[in-house]
Amino acid sequence: MTDDYYPWGGEFTACAPHGCVAVVLLNIQYTPPENVAIYGSLKTENIGIEKIIANTISNPWIRFLVICGDDIRGHYSGSSLIALYKNGIDHNHRIIHAPGAIPYIENLKENAIKRFQAQMTVIDFIGEKEKEKIDEIITDCIRKSPPSFGEPYIAIRLKPQATINLTDNRALHSRILIDYLGKIKKRGA
Amino acid sequence: MFSFTKEQKIYDISGVSIGGQPGMYPTVLFGGLFFKGEPDFEDAKRHVQTIYERSKQTGVPVIPDFFIRKVEYIQPILSFIEKVVPKKHPFSIDIIEPSIKIQTLEQLASRKLLPRTIYNSIHIGMTKEENEALRTYTPEAAIIVAFNPKDKSPDGKIEVLENGAHLLETGLLELAHQIGIEKTLIDTAALAPGENSGAAIAALPVIKEEYGLPTGCAIHNVVEKSRWLNDFPFAKKTVDVASNNAIPLFGGDYAIFGPMENAELVVPLIAWQDILVSEYTENYFGISPVASHPRRKLLK
Repeated sequence: MTDDYYPWGGEFTACAPHGCVAVVLLNIQYTPPENVAIYGSLKTENIGIEKIIANTISNPWIRFLVICGDDIRGHYSGSSLIALYKNGIDHNHRIIHAPGAIPYIENLKENAIKRFQAQMTVIDFIGEKEKEKIDEIITDCIRKSPPSFGEPYIAIRLKPQATINLTDNRALHSRILIDYLGKIKKRGA
Repeated sequence: MFSFTKEQKIYDISGVSIGGQPGMYPTVLFGGLFFKGEPDFEDAKRHVQTIYERSKQTGVPVIPDFFIRKVEYIQPILSFIEKVVPKKHPFSIDIIEPSIKIQTLEQLASRKLLPRTIYNSIHIGMTKEENEALRTYTPEAAIIVAFNPKDKSPDGKIEVLENGAHLLETGLLELAHQIGIEKTLIDTAALAPGENSGAAIAALPVIKEEYGLPTGCAIHNVVEKSRWLNDFPFAKKTVDVASNNAIPLFGGDYAIFGPMENAELVVPLIAWQDILVSEYTENYFGISPVASHPRRKLLK
């Protein structure tokens, strides 16, 4: 399993393909042991969380998600991820009781979130920055040696429906037209 | 290089003009301070002096953008603004945390700084308390970030401005209007590579033609998030600075270019780009640059 296995990309390092732990780093310079499956930093409470969910559920061997370091000011991305794990999202796709500024999950189907909730045990280590303590909790998780969750779940990135049918290839965008000099006008106006 | 058919609004924000047809007014540059660590006021003072000098030399208007990370930084940063930013000049405050935003607004009001304040920013994550604070302590202008987590294309950005993309009861433009902020600058929300980063630039002419409002973005954020550039440390700085060129080229009115220490490079670069745009737009569209424009100032 390589980085390519994790389909949504992002700022992470892939380690042991059959490791059962993923580590989310918040404002912390820490390198987990090599027997974790994957680790990486989390910055935003929307796109960042979406990537973590999509990437971790694509590897059924990952059963624990350890979140450590100091939460991101304003974004509260770590706490928002925990809120998602506990509460899911509402009808507006907002993470229920998330403290972050813009905690919306817009690019994943609800099934992907349910799968994440079922597959993972999330370990809330927010505020913890001591290497020894984080190493210890990771070792505890690995010692449990849980089985694989089964088949990988490959989350499809939801895309807005394309409505553009351009015949004028000078246009930058479906809403505007540009003449050969650079004069822009609204299409249809 | 473009011209728009929609009438373009030009705002005077405490002496700085922003907006209009490309080539008329120079691109406004926002340079940031205090992004990391404890505020270093001596260092910041030096950067503020430098950016105003480069602005004076070139004609490119500059606005200092103050990042306030912690409650305890509010008072010292506002005192710094009173002492170091020239009287009557505008500045912006860049704050993520709603509670710090509210406390800063109260302090700006008590120091009578609101007529010089650009609020950075209003977005779909605005809390009820922040909304109420803005109604009580209304800044002169605000940056509206057109971030739509559902749709990162120019259409998605318009949707969030227009109707809140079903995440809010009303669109962000109406929301700002209800609060009482009349001078609104649209930020096209530059996102990381892989998240339709180009849409922030493509949206500039689209939003200008749609609303006629001053529009810009912090395109340098895309460079910061391009991790592969870490393998090219010499090029990274150049790419960071040069990324701002795309904004005036696509008809934008302002660039939030990141750390103010880059002003030495960014200000002359944008002056050069503004001259290029102005030469074309005057020739083909008859848009004359204002007297303070870099083209008038630097080409004798």
